[in-house]
Amino acid sequence: MKKIILILTVLVLMAGTTQSQDQPVSLGFTPSSYYTFSWNTTFTMGDFNKWVGNASPAGFDLGGRYFIKGGLVAGFNIMWQRVSQSYGYQTYYGDDGSAITSTNYRFTWMVPFQGVIAYHFIPDKMVSPYIGLGIGGDYMEHHLLVQEYDLYKTRWDFSLTPEIGALVKFGSYSSWGALVAFNYKYTTNKIEFKNNWTSKNLQMLNLKVGLVLIVR
Amino acid sequence: MKTKFILLFLGVGLMLASCSKYPPSSDRLLEDMAIYTKVDLNVKFEEYKTFAIVPVVSYIDGKDSASITTPNAISLLNRITSNMTGRGFKSVATNAHPDLGINVTAIKNTNTSVYYPGWYWGYPGYYPPNWWGYPGYGYGYPYYPTYVVTYSTGTVIIDLVDLKNPTADNKVMIRWNAYIRGLLTTTHTENDILRCVDQAFAQTPQIKTTPVSGK
Repeated sequence: MKKIILILTVLVLMAGTTQSQDQPVSLGFTPSSYYTFSWNTTFTMGDFNKWVGNASPAGFDLGGRYFIKGGLVAGFNIMWQRVSQSYGYQTYYGDDGSAITSTNYRFTWMVPFQGVIAYHFIPDKMVSPYIGLGIGGDYMEHHLLVQEYDLYKTRWDFSLTPEIGALVKFGSYSSWGALVAFNYKYTTNKIEFKNNWTSKNLQMLNLKVGLVLIVR
Repeated sequence: MKTKFILLFLGVGLMLASCSKYPPSSDRLLEDMAIYTKVDLNVKFEEYKTFAIVPVVSYIDGKDSASITTPNAISLLNRITSNMTGRGFKSVATNAHPDLGINVTAIKNTNTSVYYPGWYWGYPGYYPPNWWGYPGYGYGYPYYPTYVVTYSTGTVIIDLVDLKNPTADNKVMIRWNAYIRGLLTTTHTENDILRCVDQAFAQTPQIKTTPVSGK
């Protein structure tokens, strides 16, 4: 499966590159749409940072954006992220009279999906900065691994993600470019292990770096 | 062109590498020491005043078993005793009709295995109910015991037996278990053993001769 994904991606990349080589050099163009494939690094904040303090490079993002009028775009983002950290000896209590003291490993993995609106200030240029806002939800699983015991909770939430970033074309008429973006994410998600842990309104910062397929 | 391919391969590689939901097994910390306890939440320990502890540790290593009284075993028994007296219970002789009895078992398995609490009850050193004065009785759990996985690092088990209230169906109930895993290695000192015993009691505030609002 992984090989098929890899081969398909390479073929799409080659097709886009061939097309771009036929274009004359000029001042550039405003795309009709673009698709992003980004590597995502997560920095947890607030209560979420107390749960897992480590920044995590385990994440990726797929997105599509369509120009509506001028520099205004609308689209979507689907992501996958995981944050994790090991901790030393701590005691956890169950509701049934049980308690365990040991080292533990905490992790949260999430699948965010959002609708996005953004505004590109100079959409026809090689470097096209933008501001945007994502609105949507997440599916999250919060795991507390204490030895062989895996305590976990699953939660859905509502999320808001203001973002700044830039689309950088590889050439004035290139069908490929790079994406660099930074966003703050607020969610209504919470981590709740009775007797042991509560974190509410999970927040994080995300740094995205990726490739962009640009469609005229 | 070449740069794009390198970027693409890096991106795809990073994406695929990040797709695992669980951490690698080496990070799951299964070989670290762990102190697991379970207490019967329905029992009122303030109704119990005395206890006796079996003077040996039942030791199981694979198919072999023995009763041991090594210095480490005696230290372990003494530490349990001092924790109990520290909680207000009075130590008495085993033939003095104690309210509570304590059995201690050490299991040194060389292979990864799963066992259920209680399977060690028939081994030498683990004293049956008739030794406590209840001939024809068996041990029982008032709560659902959780299984424990044991590794080559071994497990020490402490069972607190209710000798005051045998049940109508001829059972002497276990009111508290402590499983201390990871102790039976050369890397852990006697102090580690004693510290783990203290922690087992520390995380069970219910065991006390005065009423407590336990977790």
